[in-house]
Amino acid sequence: MTIRTCLLVAAILAISSPELLAQGTDLASQTLGRAYWHVFAAYAIGWIMVLGWVISIARRLVSVEQALKGS
Amino acid sequence: MPRDRLQRTGVALAALGTLGAVLLLWMVFFWVPTERTLGIAQRIFYVHVPSAWIAFFAFGIVALCSGVYLWLRDERLDMAALAAAEGGMVFCTIMLLTGPLWARVSWGTWWTWEPRLVLTLLLWFVYFSYFLVRNATENPDQGKRFAAVVGIVGVLDIPLIHVSVTWMRSLHPQPVVLRSDGPALDPDMLITLMVGLATATTLFLGLFLMRYTVECLKREVDQRRTGAQAAQGA
Repeated sequence: MTIRTCLLVAAILAISSPELLAQGTDLASQTLGRAYWHVFAAYAIGWIMVLGWVISIARRLVSVEQALKGS
Repeated sequence: MPRDRLQRTGVALAALGTLGAVLLLWMVFFWVPTERTLGIAQRIFYVHVPSAWIAFFAFGIVALCSGVYLWLRDERLDMAALAAAEGGMVFCTIMLLTGPLWARVSWGTWWTWEPRLVLTLLLWFVYFSYFLVRNATENPDQGKRFAAVVGIVGVLDIPLIHVSVTWMRSLHPQPVVLRSDGPALDPDMLITLMVGLATATTLFLGLFLMRYTVECLKREVDQRRTGAQAAQGA
């Protein structure tokens, strides 16, 4: 089933119009790629920083609860 | 409010904020229109501006709690100031890291010594010193008082950051939301920004309450240890 699907996709790609393939080239030649990476990096930084703070709070909470039980 | 209830409220707000963050991501990447001149990179706006808002909001809480702490010497105010300062540092760092990512695409440089950037970097250093000062003294109470003074002085930088684009020559654009004649943003962009601001505020308040609870527990442990040591000494 997988081989047949791959062959079907390959056949579709082979008979695709040159215009359709050329669209990819035109888009790739634009300078959007770099900006996209910057947007992804910005949101990744936001998530990582907040997640880091959450983990830091959780670790301190566990540590302080253990200390309370021990005392 | 009892500590358990504070903690539960914190967790609920943080969970709500996380849901809001997922909605914001969907809006930013699939819904909001692309800005005509700044292009795709303008979408950094929806993480950069809410981070700035939270940094200013958190440092405002630090200054307020610090001021009242110096007057009343209530430990709860010092704990609240400490929790807010930690959150403020996190969001100020996000603001300072996402800004250059946007600047590289829009201005062609990662960093430039223009007034708003310099003043924001100064704000980060002032609040970094808040933590240094706290731990730099032999007497913890003295450290808390010194840190409270730093927290109050630091907040004076925030109005300067706000007016820096109108009073000085700056690469940053003029305000687009806080204007006398109303926001100059596309309605969909304004909605996305509002979702971003609400999300960041909810998330911050949730984590602030959790951090405050941890600080309460930590001081309780310290008190018990001190009490136990005093009992042993007697």
